[in-house]
Amino acid sequence: MTQSDPLPEYDLLAGEFVLGLLEGDDLLRVRGLLARDPDFAERVLQWEERLAPLVADAPAREPPAAIWPRIEAAIAPSRDPEDGAGAELVTLRRRLARWRLTAGFSAALAASLALLLVAGPLWRQASDAPPPRESPLLAASIPIADTPLRLALTYVPERDQLSVSAAGLASDGVHDHELWVVDGEGGLHSLGVVAPGEEARFAVDPALAPALHEGARLVLTREPLGGHSEGEEAGPVVAEGHFTAI
Amino acid sequence: MSVGADPASAAREALVAAIGRVAAGERAALEQVYRATSAKLFAICLRILDDSREAEDALQDVYVDLWKSAGRYDARRASPISWLACMARNRAVDRLRAGGKVRAGAVPEEAAHHLADTGPAADDLIETEQRNARIHACIDELETRQREAVRSAFIGGATYREVAQAQGVPLGTMKSWIRRALARLRNCIEGA
Repeated sequence: MTQSDPLPEYDLLAGEFVLGLLEGDDLLRVRGLLARDPDFAERVLQWEERLAPLVADAPAREPPAAIWPRIEAAIAPSRDPEDGAGAELVTLRRRLARWRLTAGFSAALAASLALLLVAGPLWRQASDAPPPRESPLLAASIPIADTPLRLALTYVPERDQLSVSAAGLASDGVHDHELWVVDGEGGLHSLGVVAPGEEARFAVDPALAPALHEGARLVLTREPLGGHSEGEEAGPVVAEGHFTAI
Repeated sequence: MSVGADPASAAREALVAAIGRVAAGERAALEQVYRATSAKLFAICLRILDDSREAEDALQDVYVDLWKSAGRYDARRASPISWLACMARNRAVDRLRAGGKVRAGAVPEEAAHHLADTGPAADDLIETEQRNARIHACIDELETRQREAVRSAFIGGATYREVAQAQGVPLGTMKSWIRRALARLRNCIEGA
């Protein structure tokens, strides 16, 4: 399989990734490889195959009956006959439901996401250019003030998907952190509320995609629980960084 | 991929087909996957999180994730149960880390064995029993400190930094132990 491997380090890196040992810049680099290098992705799958038995050997245990209905609720509705604004609203609501249930978030976060989603159409009006095709992958590793923690971001332009890893970031119970991209005029556009300790995937509004490019400035602000309120100024900046093409 | 008439490969093929239908947005197929795999994946979540409530939430995350990402599954490249097992492992570890409960020290070998096996026989899903036995044998051949590091990362959710700290060695030392362990594992499992 990989016997005559010219790059053994590369294969071991895939193993380290599957074991979950990597963090910070190493993790960012590997995520980049995973997203764009099919050979590396293949090696990751091979390591998953090799290591899965380490956890999969526990005796099967039937989960409580209440779990399936919760999953069913989280993925519903899968289809809506309406189109146009109605369908969009349903999509947004569904995304919201998924968010809430996927990460087990608070109602406060759900409310802030509602604001975020409602704000979406405004960005759409403001933007003109469609996102460029075949854009490079963007990554940012944002050190968080006064802590050894970093917020790791990866943006895959083709999928309008931003993944945010906030491992280690703890909630103080009274504040949330909100992530923003700064446009050319210095205007802030919310990308969402970052859940402490979670790894989350944000669907980026395609209209906002042009603002996500190499060198784009990102700031993390401290906000009341649930994120900033519409019409209010953003809270104090606690961290900032830039996207780098990888 | 071998195609056979035995129950294990039939179960595997049914599972692969169901994941394909989940990718196409068929909710009934997600339920089918859930019925076939949830006892196995719940056991994984419980083993990692050691907390029923957390494990239930992690299990829910896994299937909601699957609903969104089933299109990424490629049956030519990965067995469905290993792929799902790693998804469950990753979601459970996300929760473990979020709760600050990473286990960087030795992870008990038989952590899940005190749990009654109340689920249906899901072992037919693990179509490669021999391969699994081989993997365990290969793990057993590692030096104790290497084996503990591998297990505390994969099961305990510990990063390099945390494993090194728990075992009281410099980061660089831990990295070389793990890399040697991975290389040995690969050679052992692939039958070199």
